[in-house]
Amino acid sequence: MNPEPIIYQIAMIEAILFVSKEPVEPGRIMEFLEIKDIGEFEKLLAIMEKEHLQDRPERGLLLKRSGGGLQLVTKPELHDELKAFFTIKQSTKLSLASLETLSIIAYRQPTTLAEISDMRGVNSTGPVKSLLQKKLIKITGRKKVPGLPLLYATTQEFLIYFGLNDMTELPSLEELTELFEEKEQPSLFK
Amino acid sequence: MEIEIQGYQVQTDFFEGPLDLLLHLIRKNKMKIVEIRLSQITAEYLAYLENKKGINPSRESDFLTTAATLIYIKSRSLLPKPEDPGEESPEKKLIHTLIEYEKIQKISKMLQDMEYTELLLWRRLEIDENFTNREYALKEVSAFQLAEIFFDIIKKKENEQFLYISSKNYSIAEKQEEILSLLKKNVFIDFSEYMSKLDSIEEILVSFFTLLELIKRHLLIAVQEQLFGTISIYPNQVGRLEN
Repeated sequence: MNPEPIIYQIAMIEAILFVSKEPVEPGRIMEFLEIKDIGEFEKLLAIMEKEHLQDRPERGLLLKRSGGGLQLVTKPELHDELKAFFTIKQSTKLSLASLETLSIIAYRQPTTLAEISDMRGVNSTGPVKSLLQKKLIKITGRKKVPGLPLLYATTQEFLIYFGLNDMTELPSLEELTELFEEKEQPSLFK
Repeated sequence: MEIEIQGYQVQTDFFEGPLDLLLHLIRKNKMKIVEIRLSQITAEYLAYLENKKGINPSRESDFLTTAATLIYIKSRSLLPKPEDPGEESPEKKLIHTLIEYEKIQKISKMLQDMEYTELLLWRRLEIDENFTNREYALKEVSAFQLAEIFFDIIKKKENEQFLYISSKNYSIAEKQEEILSLLKKNVFIDFSEYMSKLDSIEEILVSFFTLLELIKRHLLIAVQEQLFGTISIYPNQVGRLEN
């Protein structure tokens, strides 16, 4: 094994993340590398994140924390070239209907189809179904009201898709209101 | 009725729904939601509905429902009626819905921005899904996904004409034997294929419950190899499948 433990550990983290398709739980890596202290582990990550990846223009990757795990992703500025190389014409984005439905589920989960349709003012069966297929939401059970409607909540894929580490990274409703009020001021002068 | 020919128009941007249209009208008239002048908005709303401008045809009924509410509110305001403080007026309810919907729109915008930033970052998964035919990590499926396919098959079966009435009775115990022996011969069972080969809806039902039972008892495992792919049933000891 490498005489310099830090170098070996960083190399191992990079290798594990390189091979993994999905975000890897930090706890699993810590256990494997026998790192007890989270601060120590974070220090390794910081070195890797900044000195080895972010600050090195010759590297094409970044370290990303999403869905509670660690993952290697490509640098954003390489997006267009990657698209060209892999001949992808258009990245598929979510429809506005899907985004609205997700917004409601994210902030009111678990919630039912009836509540979603009610808040949007339109029947939302379509977007709910497509979000289920995309695995951005899941069925968590049934609401104990007449008809026992299904309850929906967001998934870990939702976090990964939107680049969130956990749900607390979403601004709270109060924070949102402030955020939007600030943003809206300039529009007064239009 | 006057007919106007305006050349070929492609309408791509529909209003998402009646609330979207209402918010648009409120903004256009520089009103605040809480100070909304409903009579003016109602007139404009109905004009949109009449011209079908920006109205998604498949959602017309949703737009009409809101139109009815608007007219109801308007007619109520014309009638002298003592205000019952305990009852929430339809007007207040609509305003409340609009305020909530405005928030939803803003959250959607935020999610959209986040989606945009994230789409610039590529993960390993993206290449896998789009390009390679390598073996996918098997994902265990939920009972809901299994049920969805089950209902598809039932629907297909319902459309078929059965020429005979099966007098055979199916039992879960027999089915269990059959499925387990089938799995001894083959490595796995393709769920849709297996189900669609069965003779009657009754047999499908019994087989489905048998499968659910066996999965529940951890004797079998249902996995989906890729998104929207077929679901396969394996004996559970085959492997510690990744989940």
